[in-house]
Amino acid sequence: MNNVIHLLKKDFQIDIRLKYPFIGLILYLFSVVFLLYYSFSLGLKTEVWNSLLWITVLFVATNAIAKSFIQETNRNLYYYFISSPLAILTSKLIYSFCFLCTLCVISFGLFSILLGYPGNNQFWFWVNLTLGCLGISSAFTMISALSAKTNSAGVMMVILGFPVILPIIILGSSNSNILLLGGSITDISDNLITLFSVDLVIIALAYILFPYSWKS
Amino acid sequence: MKKLFKSNWWKYICVCLLVYVSTWGLLSDVPRLPILNETIRVLHFHVPMWFGMIFLFLGSVIYSIKQLGNPSERNDLISCELAKIGTIFGILGILTGMFWATFTWGEPWSSDPKQNASAVGLLIYFAYFFLRGSITDEQQKARISAVYNIFAFVALIPLLFILPRMTDSLHPGNGGNPGFNAYDLDSSLRAIFYPAVIGWTLLGYWIATLKIRKGLIEIKIDA
Repeated sequence: MNNVIHLLKKDFQIDIRLKYPFIGLILYLFSVVFLLYYSFSLGLKTEVWNSLLWITVLFVATNAIAKSFIQETNRNLYYYFISSPLAILTSKLIYSFCFLCTLCVISFGLFSILLGYPGNNQFWFWVNLTLGCLGISSAFTMISALSAKTNSAGVMMVILGFPVILPIIILGSSNSNILLLGGSITDISDNLITLFSVDLVIIALAYILFPYSWKS
Repeated sequence: MKKLFKSNWWKYICVCLLVYVSTWGLLSDVPRLPILNETIRVLHFHVPMWFGMIFLFLGSVIYSIKQLGNPSERNDLISCELAKIGTIFGILGILTGMFWATFTWGEPWSSDPKQNASAVGLLIYFAYFFLRGSITDEQQKARISAVYNIFAFVALIPLLFILPRMTDSLHPGNGGNPGFNAYDLDSSLRAIFYPAVIGWTLLGYWIATLKIRKGLIEIKIDA
């Protein structure tokens, strides 16, 4: 547990000191949303707004979480000796979840300012988005651990990640679509539970499989 | 798997079943249903492809798990070859399905959730082969691809079996449509359909064992 906290601290410290990866992602987000703002200047339907938000989050996530293992390939051997794989995985999962949630809040803010927020049911919309983030971040963390071992990590991340992430995106975006169009929690409770269980399955698999991909 | 290598009796069963399926499946009487008409015979060739694919992928995942517990070239080879044949079955399943859909749903691709899910499922296994191609170290390749195989197979399950049931689909058994048992799969069709599933699956394993035996010989020659 102590190890997990230290590793988490290290990850956040890298972000605070380097600054450019995080700011770069925010700039990336800003350009994407601005591009959308120009392309949809005539106004856009709720369904389109919703799918654009999820696509933006997905693309930011590929860029953001790719760095969790790929960033530090030269130091992996060192981490291998000082802590257990489970501690490393736990810290990376927590870190990428926090990171993606932050980016999600920022992209939601940019979307609301530039493209408007079409719904009204805030709370469950956020619960759904958080569950989506949890699934996306944990699946991509695992995938980035795998693709860090290959020759072309950046491309691998996208190719390996998208098919795995698809169930989460389908469930999450259909849930938030229902909410934005005026549905209530009773309309999506089943889907929300399914989404949560898919998240749990992915995290459990990551815990089972990560030690094997780590030792090499 | 070892038993499949050593024995031949299942190959005779496979040949008999497939001869029976491809002759009787095309010649026997089928129920007259609106829209479906005679195209219902594709049932014996389309649906067994998916069953075969799932069984082959299952075998591949089992050998991936074995590979993680007990790394060996043999386990890696078996799991890779089973996945290859499974992918070919998947492609054939999509093609036969598109052929069938052209005559019943009016177009080869009608963005049916199961069609989309199976296309994504194939993407997963193309990614698996791509991953194998991009790692040069043999042991690393075996381990990383085994991890991805297990990860992707589990991710495929909600895609193929849970999500299509939640939305409307043109396939039977989805979105309030009746499932196989309640559907018009009458006993004469069933008498051909179940042998077809077994026959095509056995054929898949037969092709896979040939490729695995070739691979094992190559490993021996290289060593």
